Amino acid sequence: MSYMDILKTAPQVLTPGTSACQGCGGELILRRVMQIAGANSVFAVPPGCMAGAGAVGWSDTNGCTAPMHIPLLDNTASFMSGVSEMYQRRGRGDVNIVAIAGDGASADCGFQSLSGAAERGARMLYVCYDNEGYMNTGFQRSSTTSRGSSTSTTPSGAAINGKEQGAKYVPLILAMHNIEYCATASPSHMPDFVAKVKHGLEASKRGFAYIHVFSPCPTGWGFKPSESIAVARRAVASNMFPLWECERGRWYMSENRSPITMAQFVEGIGKFSRLDAAALEELQEAASARYELIRRLCAK
Amino acid sequence: MGERMALTGNKCASYGAALCRPDLIAAYPITPQSSVVEELAGLVYSGALDARMVQVESEHSAMSVVQGAAAAGGRVFTATSAQGLALMFEPYFRMSTLRLPMVMAIATREMTSPETIWSGQQDAMSVREAGWIQCFCETNQEILDMILQGYMLAEDPRVLIPVNICYDGFYSSHLMEGVDVPSQAEADAFLPPYGLPAKLDPREPRSLDPMTPGELLTKYRRSHLEAMQAALEVVEEVDIKFAKAFGRSYGGAIEAYRMDGADYALVTVGGMTGAAREVVDALRGEGLNFGLVKLRFTRPFPAARVREALAGVKGFAVVDRSVSFGWDAGPMYVEACAALGGLLAGKAHFSAIGGLGGADLSVAQLAAAARRLAGAEGAGRMDTLWLSEEVRQ
Repeated sequence: MSYMDILKTAPQVLTPGTSACQGCGGELILRRVMQIAGANSVFAVPPGCMAGAGAVGWSDTNGCTAPMHIPLLDNTASFMSGVSEMYQRRGRGDVNIVAIAGDGASADCGFQSLSGAAERGARMLYVCYDNEGYMNTGFQRSSTTSRGSSTSTTPSGAAINGKEQGAKYVPLILAMHNIEYCATASPSHMPDFVAKVKHGLEASKRGFAYIHVFSPCPTGWGFKPSESIAVARRAVASNMFPLWECERGRWYMSENRSPITMAQFVEGIGKFSRLDAAALEELQEAASARYELIRRLCAK
Repeated sequence: MGERMALTGNKCASYGAALCRPDLIAAYPITPQSSVVEELAGLVYSGALDARMVQVESEHSAMSVVQGAAAAGGRVFTATSAQGLALMFEPYFRMSTLRLPMVMAIATREMTSPETIWSGQQDAMSVREAGWIQCFCETNQEILDMILQGYMLAEDPRVLIPVNICYDGFYSSHLMEGVDVPSQAEADAFLPPYGLPAKLDPREPRSLDPMTPGELLTKYRRSHLEAMQAALEVVEEVDIKFAKAFGRSYGGAIEAYRMDGADYALVTVGGMTGAAREVVDALRGEGLNFGLVKLRFTRPFPAARVREALAGVKGFAVVDRSVSFGWDAGPMYVEACAALGGLLAGKAHFSAIGGLGGADLSVAQLAAAARRLAGAEGAGRMDTLWLSEEVRQ
């Protein structure tokens, strides 16, 4: 079945009418992951944009057709470890155990829990939608925020201009846990995205599967809602966000030998609007170095 | 048939948990609890115990993993102490407010700072407003027995609240006593299999813990408090059931020792009770009418039974192995006073604090506290007595 057929025919599992912002990359990722996983799943969505948008429901009302829990911001992977263990113990390993969490809940305060579950090989699919910050609480910086980004806690000031540190590259750290499956994906590359989620779900029956997804945020980053997919496409095209996968030590990537520049990537994105030349150069070097590192890992 | 064995308190916690046939155990080592999970790991790895053993990277994850497993319909167990308990506070509070029943052993330990690894009850006492039931044990036999009782209490449909079985770090956790260990058949006859449905199941899709407005949240809190009060009754029922099955009764939420016609009472928590019994016996021999009230459960606080037990005394002292920073007193002293309410009038009473950070809480110190009480001139609160090396008769 082609990815189009899957997206056209598989029933929606997420509540219709969630209140995410227009053009939200996270909502698209959430909706598609849940649709591909299907209703025979247990989902966890910790505090963050997607929980705030109503994925877990309000009061006692929820339109999801699968059970969903909002764990703590920092225990999604360990909570789901317990759920997974019980489903295996009861002989119901067919149930998909799926966590969908933002970068704060994954890369910052949830990182220990995530690393622990990955190291133990807990059987689940963990999807991180990385919108480069705490967008639900008002666009504060996280450890995955790109250098130079203007956020509410790293504003563009006269003394300090945006975030001073580069982004922590979480998917590679997860791959170094020797997990069953590790991949990056982007909503701009839907055939690749669908294939990786399906692959991740299969791998989650044997161990820990992790997919790190680029999640453009028009509200927090300052670009037009209609531009979300274009921004995601440019992130991949610039090699800032290379698409790759690693399955039990075997690496594959989608090569991109003629990337666009980082100057082209940041065009029209508000949080980069006051980047100086030096910061832009650093962004370019980071993207090139990241791509080169992944390319070498994937070299036959 | 069961077996008579010489066991440390930690082994009693392990064997008690194993007899309850947990589906999943998740734990992280911390002094003085570590040998509880070591023993359980040994049982699982040898094949003697059919349970999932999840070796987590922190206590925060220990409580999170068991929370996930409980939400998926499993009977679960973990154990911790002090800093581990502090680290797991976030999912710990949520376990009780999700109303997921389980048992967690706490080998109680002093809280840092100053840096310490030794005994004390400050850890468990500091989380007494986190919605869990808390039981303190005096003997190793009691630890094993209360783990079995703990599951029955926690899983009772009138309760559905997780239970801490607390016992003094090192003094109980590491010292051996003779213990009757029930057979698996005896334990099975007492404790039915876990029968609560999974809260997260695709066969009945539900949202667990969505955003809840204040009006509704208030109802949850009220229901939790009512279940806590209902638990006081269930504690007594479970004690009776246990006595019928195993011939051992602990008196329920409190144990009143030689309180008939007592003029004075020492109120104790946990392992110190053994020393206090000796003091009571010795003073009775001298003609001083002392009795003892052992607080077995501190959450829910057995206010009515404490009130009844202390109603007739001229004076009482509550011995705490922890402090209440807001009261220049120990926490159980404050709560005993609250329980007595108007009955406090006419009584001499004080808070005695000792045994912090592993310091000995000796017979001599407790005797000194008792004699101070017996010598009280008139009624009312007396200064807090710090039980230290200098306080001897």
